Amino acid sequence: MATLTRQDLNFGQVVADILCEFLEVAIHLILYVREIYPSGIFQKRKKYNVPVQMSCHPELNQYIQDTLHCVKPLIQKNEAEKVVMVIMDKEHHPVERFVFEISQPPLLSISSETLLSHVEQLLRAMILKISVCDAVLDNNPPGCTFTLLVHTREAATRNMEKVQVIKDFPWIVADEQEVHMEEAKLIPLKTMTSDILKVSHSQLFCTESQVSWLQLKHRCSRISLKSRCKT
Amino acid sequence: MDDLYLDNIDEFVNDQNKIVTYKWLSLTLGVHVNTAKQMLYHYLQQKRNESSGTPLHATYLVSGKCVENGSTYHKVSVVREDKLDAVKAKMDVTISVHVYSVQRAELKDSSPLYSTDYDAVKENLKNCNKYSAIRCAAAVPLSSSELQRAQETALVPPVEKEISKPGFNENTSATSKPSAKQPAGIMGMFASKNASKSQESSKEVKTEQKEDSSLVETSKSKTASKANPMSNFFGKSAQKKADEKPNKSIKEEMDSSSTASATASLKQSQTSSKSETDVKEEQSKVSKALKVESKDTRSKTKRPEVVDSDDEKMESQQKKRRRIVVPDSPPVPNVHTPSPKKQVKREPVSHQEESSEVKRRKRRRVLRSNTFVDEDGAFVTEKGYVSESYSESEEEPESNSQAKDSSSLKQSFGKREEEKKEKSQKKTSAAKKPTKQPSIMGFFQKK
Repeated sequence: MATLTRQDLNFGQVVADILCEFLEVAIHLILYVREIYPSGIFQKRKKYNVPVQMSCHPELNQYIQDTLHCVKPLIQKNEAEKVVMVIMDKEHHPVERFVFEISQPPLLSISSETLLSHVEQLLRAMILKISVCDAVLDNNPPGCTFTLLVHTREAATRNMEKVQVIKDFPWIVADEQEVHMEEAKLIPLKTMTSDILKVSHSQLFCTESQVSWLQLKHRCSRISLKSRCKT
Repeated sequence: MDDLYLDNIDEFVNDQNKIVTYKWLSLTLGVHVNTAKQMLYHYLQQKRNESSGTPLHATYLVSGKCVENGSTYHKVSVVREDKLDAVKAKMDVTISVHVYSVQRAELKDSSPLYSTDYDAVKENLKNCNKYSAIRCAAAVPLSSSELQRAQETALVPPVEKEISKPGFNENTSATSKPSAKQPAGIMGMFASKNASKSQESSKEVKTEQKEDSSLVETSKSKTASKANPMSNFFGKSAQKKADEKPNKSIKEEMDSSSTASATASLKQSQTSSKSETDVKEEQSKVSKALKVESKDTRSKTKRPEVVDSDDEKMESQQKKRRRIVVPDSPPVPNVHTPSPKKQVKREPVSHQEESSEVKRRKRRRVLRSNTFVDEDGAFVTEKGYVSESYSESEEEPESNSQAKDSSSLKQSFGKREEEKKEKSQKKTSAAKKPTKQPSIMGFFQKK
């Protein structure tokens, strides 16, 4: 495969694809590891040559896929700062947040063969880290739900509200309650830097509520959107 | 040996929150695997005695002889610490027990164990058995001519194998379908892996199979019949396919005299996680790094496949699945597919048609499948050609089918959990799409 440069039309798309696939796997894995849903709905699948747990529930899968489908154009245009998976208890107070910070490193060109296997390796390591994260996190109370937030830059959210990328899947501005956590402690989980993505983990530990950051570094903005999750 | 390794392990486990398996440790520190096992054991002892600090969890590899249905087989499994005594008690003879891994997190399934070793082995692919205790003098890398021959023979059409035997711990096995096409790049990996492990293991299996008289069913017994030992890998590694649920228990009978080392067991690299029993069975690591790259082609098309595999998905208790398809159209073929209790494949039956907006009514023969419960309590899916009338601008009323499905499914299902019931209802409605060709007028009638 020839080298891809930043000017290539496909570059942004490739990166966005890789990232969204990874996010999907990571979200499913977090749901499994943190026991948000009973483990019976999960099935072992293979990704990046290692086994991962994916849910089989169609509505759940559809929700996650739709969310990421909407996020993908944001990543392509480099407008998504971070994707946050918030885990909330029964009263909808956030107890945990897994933050994927996305950033674009300033490299101009990539040669795809070694790069993709390198990226695969890094993503594998990330997935492994998620699997063992419950060593550093407290148990969640029962009956938790989750929601996905996207922090974008500038006014990208306005477009998202106006144009429905997916029909009947509206995005709304997130409540402050869900975005902010009190006494949040940051727990770094994993940092990954590659030529096409920068991913970093940062961790803080907290008793009351926890924020675990998986940062995929891109540059950022302050508006967060969320989509409703039926659970 | 000095105690520096204890600090090393401590750093890995506590500071870096890694899973330290004995194999990873041996490759990282450059020591023999048995030394690594000892290291882990000492570390564990030391930490447990201190009884302070963060709790540690460990998994153990237990191998021994078990008897089931009158036949003895050698069983190797990776178990969590809390299940260790139970598993040992179930075995007639426990041949070996050693620490498999040490970690801080309590693992819910065995996937991270595999992931931990994956990269370490991949880096040391050429000499990943340098520190291993399993040796075979005849295992050498293939020369390039042999490699080419192997590549050609490997492109044989896939053989469908059905392995369904209730496992020892309620494990069930799934069908496995080695994929025919393997990209050439993989063969290189296979060749070097071949050298270290596969040849020896396939040879051992072949000799043992001849000695076997009992009904021991192994995936290798099926693959041993194949001429090419390379196909063994496709058979095993293809079992990793997500579509087929990779729940296998491999039972092998080995005469202890024929094995190279006392603890030598043909461990295959499949991991299956059992939620019921929490026993992790890890089979041979022979083809561990050889996971078929055909999965790469699937990784990009994961989404459409998720739906397919949903339909195919078997729960942890599978019944034997027989599918007999008679392809001739005019006589009605009766296809009996006893599907497991939890799964219903029900296609919308003919009352899908819209009576309104009929442009032209035609009759045609359509292959419809009907699912019902027969007297044994098994679900039977009958596929038949049914002559039905349709109109060119017919729409599938999804809501109708949903409502109908939900009512019938609620009656049919047994003690299934609520979520799964709804899930399968939605599954069936979501999975079925109209397959007729859209007519040009259809554009105007759709909402």
